[in-house]
Amino acid sequence: MTYASGYQDIPTLSGPGMTALQSPGASGSRRILRHPWVVQVIAVLVIVVVWQGLTVTSDRVPSIEKVLSFLWTEISGGSHGGSLNGEFWGPLGLSLQRYVIGLAIGIPVGVVLGIVIGTSRWARGLLNDTTLVLLALPAVVWAFLAALWFGLTSTAPVMAVALTAIPFVAINLSTGVRDIDPGLIEMSKSYRVSRRNQVTDLLIGGTLNNVFTGIRLAFMTGWNSLLIVEWFAATAGVGWRARFWYDALRYAGFVAWILVFVLLITALDRLVLRRLERRSFRWNRQATLTFGDDWDGVS
Amino acid sequence: MATVLIENLTKIYPPTVTHPHRVQALGGVNMSITGNVFVAVLGPSGSGKTTLLNIVAGVETPTSGSVRAVQDGVPAQVGYVFQEPRLLPWRTVLNNMLYVKDRKSDRARREAEFYLTMVGLNEVAHLYPSQLSTGMQQRVGIARAFLVNPDVLLMDEPFSHMDALTGRSLRDYLQRVWLQTRKTALFVTHDVGEAVELADRVLMLRPGGVIFDEITIDLPRPRRADDPAVKHVETEVLRRFDSMEAVVRFGNQPR
Repeated sequence: MTYASGYQDIPTLSGPGMTALQSPGASGSRRILRHPWVVQVIAVLVIVVVWQGLTVTSDRVPSIEKVLSFLWTEISGGSHGGSLNGEFWGPLGLSLQRYVIGLAIGIPVGVVLGIVIGTSRWARGLLNDTTLVLLALPAVVWAFLAALWFGLTSTAPVMAVALTAIPFVAINLSTGVRDIDPGLIEMSKSYRVSRRNQVTDLLIGGTLNNVFTGIRLAFMTGWNSLLIVEWFAATAGVGWRARFWYDALRYAGFVAWILVFVLLITALDRLVLRRLERRSFRWNRQATLTFGDDWDGVS
Repeated sequence: MATVLIENLTKIYPPTVTHPHRVQALGGVNMSITGNVFVAVLGPSGSGKTTLLNIVAGVETPTSGSVRAVQDGVPAQVGYVFQEPRLLPWRTVLNNMLYVKDRKSDRARREAEFYLTMVGLNEVAHLYPSQLSTGMQQRVGIARAFLVNPDVLLMDEPFSHMDALTGRSLRDYLQRVWLQTRKTALFVTHDVGEAVELADRVLMLRPGGVIFDEITIDLPRPRRADDPAVKHVETEVLRRFDSMEAVVRFGNQPR
């Protein structure tokens, strides 16, 4: 993958920056088709075409147009007919609040647990299998347990997010701690490196990769279980709103909220997590690339 | 003045899954090193060289016997150059140096830059190890060892992974820095030429971790490996290894 400068400056396929990408001798149209942004546009187009195709074959699939207009009514607070008015920022804000609090609890707990499991053989014996089992539990189980324990309050979704996040961070980090090169540990020991430097440079530096993987997975699965708890055991929030329209047989509303859900998590991953990750891995480009595609071309 | 005193040092590794028999790495090593000398321990693979250094560095514990590395009565600060560079890949060259010091101190930073300059690497202080050649990485390792102002300098075949040309230039760097600092140095290697080129004293180790002979080299420095005088000592050392092997092979009483 090349990192030609000026990727972000290219607004359209025929923008003036396009010439910068065409190296002499390479076929122009091929280069354009390989451009990361173009590939993404193609992917979106494929989804749109398939969606519209399904709309034609089944009346259970609302058209894109219906979904978007429904979404606009929600956002603008317009009328859905009868006494039902659009609501958007209220449910969204509440869900995001629960999400952030859940992660703020889950990630630090996961980090501590990961370091303990990674550094102490005794703790590993005690906790490793348990954490693995927790990891294997689907988000929906956490969602139901949280609903069972905490009832129809905000505590249930917050705890579901935290409980889902913990094992992902803990297992990844403990693997990272155990994978720290023993040669570097020996080196630190022979030089009597201060504990502070060992923590900041060896422990944190050496496991940042794993911490990021864990956090990214925690963000993804946490968002999933939040939605599920809200669907079954909440009286407000994004999941609740999606269910509300589902129960009212307003499929356009249901799909509109699912769309919001997907767009949010994608934006979070692209705009925040990957950028952070790339910033932390300047020392090794390969480490970033193993996390998947690099389409947004941020260098 | 730094002293390394090793008495009747034995190290036996218990059987493991991969090595079903117990292995004697060191079989009663005695040595005494005092002052600004460069001592090489020469022996083939499996003669316990790395184990010896690890025990002196405090990374491994002996099965029996004692090791004391002291400077004016207190435990000596050790600078260790490993076979591989052993740098933190996620830290720049300069930060790798500062890892073994107090990174906030301006003095440490100046000293780090001084030693990097001495091995010709001040220009790349801001680069990451992966951006350097192996030879350059090992030079960082050497600079790092000197940075801690060691009382005792330990080196474990630091040039064995290098090609011949890189190895030669690194030995020149090492001699240059050592001549300026004259730290007590313990250098292990399987390369006879290297040992003779660098050391004041060469201790000869045979498999099983037993020192069977030693030779003192009193040649002017800096030395060059192709110097006839160095070659002459090299031949003598090889001859002693040959006679040791003959003794072992024909089952005679060891000396």
